[in-house]
Amino acid sequence: VYQNVVAVQQMARRSICSSARRQVENKVPQKQKVFQEDNGMPVHLKGGSSDALLYRATMALTVLGVGFTLYELVKASFPQKKD
Amino acid sequence: MAHQAHAYHMVDPSPWPLTGAVAALLMTSGLAIWMHFHTTTLMSLGLVLLLLTMYQWWRDIIREGTFQGHHTPPVQKGLRYGMILFITSEVFFFLGFFWAFYHSSLAPTPELGGCWPPTGITTLNPFEVPLLNTAVLLASGVTVTWAHHSIMEGQRKQAIQSLTLTILLGFYFTALQAMEYYEAPFTIADGVYGSTFFVATGFHGLHVIIGSTFLAICLLRQAQYHFTSDHHFGFEAAAWYWHFVDVVWLFLYISIYWWGS
Repeated sequence: VYQNVVAVQQMARRSICSSARRQVENKVPQKQKVFQEDNGMPVHLKGGSSDALLYRATMALTVLGVGFTLYELVKASFPQKKD
Repeated sequence: MAHQAHAYHMVDPSPWPLTGAVAALLMTSGLAIWMHFHTTTLMSLGLVLLLLTMYQWWRDIIREGTFQGHHTPPVQKGLRYGMILFITSEVFFFLGFFWAFYHSSLAPTPELGGCWPPTGITTLNPFEVPLLNTAVLLASGVTVTWAHHSIMEGQRKQAIQSLTLTILLGFYFTALQAMEYYEAPFTIADGVYGSTFFVATGFHGLHVIIGSTFLAICLLRQAQYHFTSDHHFGFEAAAWYWHFVDVVWLFLYISIYWWGS
């Protein structure tokens, strides 16, 4: 029984060790290379196509938002008579 | 990128100030529309736009500093001044609510019964959950200082552990306060006591959430090797903000919870 206990302890220790070894890799040098490339791109688009997608979505919401606001404010300025 | 003969940072043109301004327009108009017509669409749209703006603007600052090297010592000095001035403005924000509290509590009107706490108000016992909350925030001030020293000494794992502990303590405070809010025997509508209590502690709680979020971003950045032992201003800014939140709580605890009970 004692040998079994020792075996389980060793197994438990081993699995904890191997999960702790799964560490985050240092990707900063790669990022520095991407963002220092002399391609004339502004920083908000320099990360690639996902930057452009997010930018376009944000700008679309911005334009739509201004339009929607003006519509709601004009609507609120002319109260509807209730019958 | 050796095109400049100075150490300052001339930023690339950016759309985020515009989108942020539009978000503010949408949130304010949306608030008015909500109050009159009971629809939250406009305000929610503004909130989404605000979150998108914050995410992308701060992502770009991390790119400019950590990946492009634009945060030279003079630039960092400017960022330090900026954070100090911002926190100072927040101090004045809270000062107003403390002014309101002391205005009503130092000279209680006959309508309140001429006493503080007002007649009919059952206050919270300052030596129960509020005292625990004080201990939690003070402890988190210690752990954030531990995190700072760990970063300065290049102790990666300790920095991650102490920063995580700080954030957990922040969540614990928020959970305890949420429970207190739910169980409180008075509401925001209970006269000037309720108003001053919930507005002051409510804005404080919001700042705890903001501070915890800032620290969580720092944790992610620390895990991704963004911070070096002598350049980690993002973390320092978060730690300053966290200490500010702690100090505001101490004033709230002494004034509203203890003296005001």
